[in-house]
Amino acid sequence: MHGSAVVAGVGESAYYKRGGSPHSEFQLACIAIRNAVADAGLTMADVDGFASYMDRNEPVRLSAALGTGDLNFTGQTFGGGGNGAGAAVTLADMAISAGYAECVVVFRALAQGQFHRYGQAGRARRARGRSAYTSPYGMLSAAQTCAMQTMRYMHEHGVSQDSLAEIVLACYEHAQRNPRAVRYGTPLTRDEYHASRMIAEPFHLYDCCPENDGAAAIVVTTRERARDLARPAVSIVAAAHGLERRDGVAAFNEVNFPTAHHRHVGRQLWARAGAGPADVQVAQFYENFTGPVLMAIAEMGFCEPAELDEFVANGNIVGPGGRLPINTSGGNLGEGYIHGFGCVVEAVRQVRGDSTCQVPGVELSLSVSGPGYAPGSAVLFGKG
Amino acid sequence: MPQDWSLPAVTPVSSAWFTSATLALQHCAACGVRQHPPEEICHSCGGMDFDYRAVAPTGTVYSYTVAHYAVNRALADHVPYAVVLVSLDDAPEVRVIGNIVGIDPAEVHIGMAVRALWERHEVDGDVVELPLWEPA
Repeated sequence: MHGSAVVAGVGESAYYKRGGSPHSEFQLACIAIRNAVADAGLTMADVDGFASYMDRNEPVRLSAALGTGDLNFTGQTFGGGGNGAGAAVTLADMAISAGYAECVVVFRALAQGQFHRYGQAGRARRARGRSAYTSPYGMLSAAQTCAMQTMRYMHEHGVSQDSLAEIVLACYEHAQRNPRAVRYGTPLTRDEYHASRMIAEPFHLYDCCPENDGAAAIVVTTRERARDLARPAVSIVAAAHGLERRDGVAAFNEVNFPTAHHRHVGRQLWARAGAGPADVQVAQFYENFTGPVLMAIAEMGFCEPAELDEFVANGNIVGPGGRLPINTSGGNLGEGYIHGFGCVVEAVRQVRGDSTCQVPGVELSLSVSGPGYAPGSAVLFGKG
Repeated sequence: MPQDWSLPAVTPVSSAWFTSATLALQHCAACGVRQHPPEEICHSCGGMDFDYRAVAPTGTVYSYTVAHYAVNRALADHVPYAVVLVSLDDAPEVRVIGNIVGIDPAEVHIGMAVRALWERHEVDGDVVELPLWEPA
């Protein structure tokens, strides 16, 4: 039944700028998984399942390479991006709770220096399917797609450019506390943000996630199994992923455009948790770009869209003491873009009490994945 | 866009949109619902037969972005370029993407009135009429 699965360990590889990793992407995956299993106080032979999203590093190969136990579960989510991070945790929760597996590693490895760069796009001579309506116009990247959503959202709700900056500045400030962060030792000022070059209006360079190399993982197991392990167990209080009907329509014709695809996710999550946004002490909002973060903050119910400027200003989202610290490891922008799985790891750390920007008294810790793309997903973690 | 840039594939579903040089919207033959972009199945009743009816080629800019960074090397000399999302006067719930021409990208704004025009291409034996926008 739901509620029987907990997170017993977390781990990462080192994070690198694109092209900076001395290891292959597969090796990075192995490093992160080993670290997570060791952090939990388990051995590789205890692992009997894997879950991920959009990952190239198949459990069949990982299992042989790492010497896991016999595999009882593997799963990967549908969907086009980092919006699968929370959904992948859900898969592990389901596999454990339903008794199909006892120890599932959820991971994501991504080395953009070795494979496709997310900020670049190929040129198809003939654009097919959904891209037929966008690619011929040079509408090719996630930055451009999220820019189109964000431009309308800012117009409708009176959101300022400075609110985009607040997301970036909070991430960079948090990264200065985190020696694992790619941007550790590289602070950013508001003036530098505004002076940075445009990528796709309204996004400046710093609104956009970097291209990094690295891997991150968590170990999900039963509450019983976790009882005698190395770390305090972290509960998966609730998880949700999905989308509203006809919000999957192509080419910006979603009924609710502009949307981060998290209203439905938020309603599901809070109903399952028996809690609400006011009960959360800290949150990680996957930043592909800053605009979808703002949209997701409102859609998850933390404030009304028209209140966003105030919600993110005046240090309100800066940890450890802000009203709702977000992206406390530095997030995708500051710590590293591992397709958002670092946000999941950090959300777990906040409950354990070992974040580099530890918020005091954390009972509930939220991770929101991949806003701007459907289906959205989110996980709420909590004590024991 | 530059010479030899991507053009849409013409399929039974997209043919009316990309070859008629009109804003031909897809209507379900069974229930009459219109939907855009055209799909293989009616999202309302599940029907698979459609007809296509042109609406007036005018609308209002609902959102836009100006691309300053070339995400493909072939676009390096083409940035900055503007992409607009247009709500149609005759079908406000329908939003149509396209490049806007005849205006400095810095002048594009939400709410501006625009009119469609078509750029004719011949590729792989197909004629493609690509809808674009210009200030009305």
